[in-house]
Amino acid sequence: MLEARGTPAVAIGLVRPQMERTRPPRGLWTPFQLGRPLGEPGDAEFQRRVLMQALGLLERRDGPVILEDFPDDPPNWWDTPGWRPPSSLAIETPDSPAGWAAALEREMTALHPAWQRACARYGRTTIGLSGQAPELWPACIAQFLAGELPTVAPHETAALTLRFLCDDIKAMYSEAAQADGRPPSSRQIDAWFWSATIAGRLLIALRSMALQSENNALKTVGGRFFVPAPFLPPG
Amino acid sequence: MARLEDIPQPTRDAVANAACPSFEATPFVSGPPLAERRVAIVSSAALIRRNDTPFSFGSAEVRLLPVDVPLGDLLVSHVSINFDRSGYQRDINTVCPIERLRELAAQGIVGSVAATHYTVMGSTDPSTMEGSADQISGQLRQERVDAVLLTPV
Repeated sequence: MLEARGTPAVAIGLVRPQMERTRPPRGLWTPFQLGRPLGEPGDAEFQRRVLMQALGLLERRDGPVILEDFPDDPPNWWDTPGWRPPSSLAIETPDSPAGWAAALEREMTALHPAWQRACARYGRTTIGLSGQAPELWPACIAQFLAGELPTVAPHETAALTLRFLCDDIKAMYSEAAQADGRPPSSRQIDAWFWSATIAGRLLIALRSMALQSENNALKTVGGRFFVPAPFLPPG
Repeated sequence: MARLEDIPQPTRDAVANAACPSFEATPFVSGPPLAERRVAIVSSAALIRRNDTPFSFGSAEVRLLPVDVPLGDLLVSHVSINFDRSGYQRDINTVCPIERLRELAAQGIVGSVAATHYTVMGSTDPSTMEGSADQISGQLRQERVDAVLLTPV
């Protein structure tokens, strides 16, 4: 669309069949996992190689459709041997909104030192989409589980309030998981979060609540955007 | 490896079979050597600055990112939950290589970095984004940008 308006463009793509169908003027397919178009976090030299190969296509004149493959896999695709989760509280399935709030608060407290180390290590946090500080999350979750539909700015609906709160919870746990040593693979983080944390159980419970809600927006958002498809409960 | 066959189901089939726009024309614009080009990034990660409202589902808007935007404040607000966020949590350059591009400019490999980068919601149907394409294109011309890098998530 930009090329048609006169500016040369090169696209990085993570899904080769999509690039073959879209046929950009210049495309570099990178064989990295979804969410990592430049490949390897924290590896400036690797990212630079990807960027150089992509930008290099701008000097080619043998268009109108050029599709190249980046030749290498990122160096740390494999799981990290010996990685240990930042907390391992016993899994609970509370039977009340207050019980869930208390269980989440306990687990977040246990994770807090690791999360702080991660913030120091990477120089930032990606928490922030919910618009709420972490200490407010358990009470907000309890409200939803009790059938209330709070809306918290900057969001305009309860559905989006809860969706982005779920995103922030996942961000805190994922950051804490990467606090020390060689970080785990994304598969290790997902496996831990969805099978061995109270928060993972909570998000699955919130999805069930949303699917039974009479609020259609919450039903839709909860059904699609709380729990990734590979981790949905059977049925 | 990290290829299509490594994406867990059912996400793999959804990604492989996702509807893609088809374009009748295949425009192709040439330009000067890379060392003379001014480069901008367009990221489809729906990046926002902390405290901004996230992109909405189906949003066709474009948001402008000044080149000096504090990188620690950039958050991915893309609607999909079926892609990795742990890489970007450690390093924003994994999704939007702002620092890497600055380095290439400092080394003279590219001519310069544009004053503005751009971000959109990657899951939105591109046919609804002609207005945003016009907006980006106008700003690119104003800043005399002659190279764009598109990065997905």
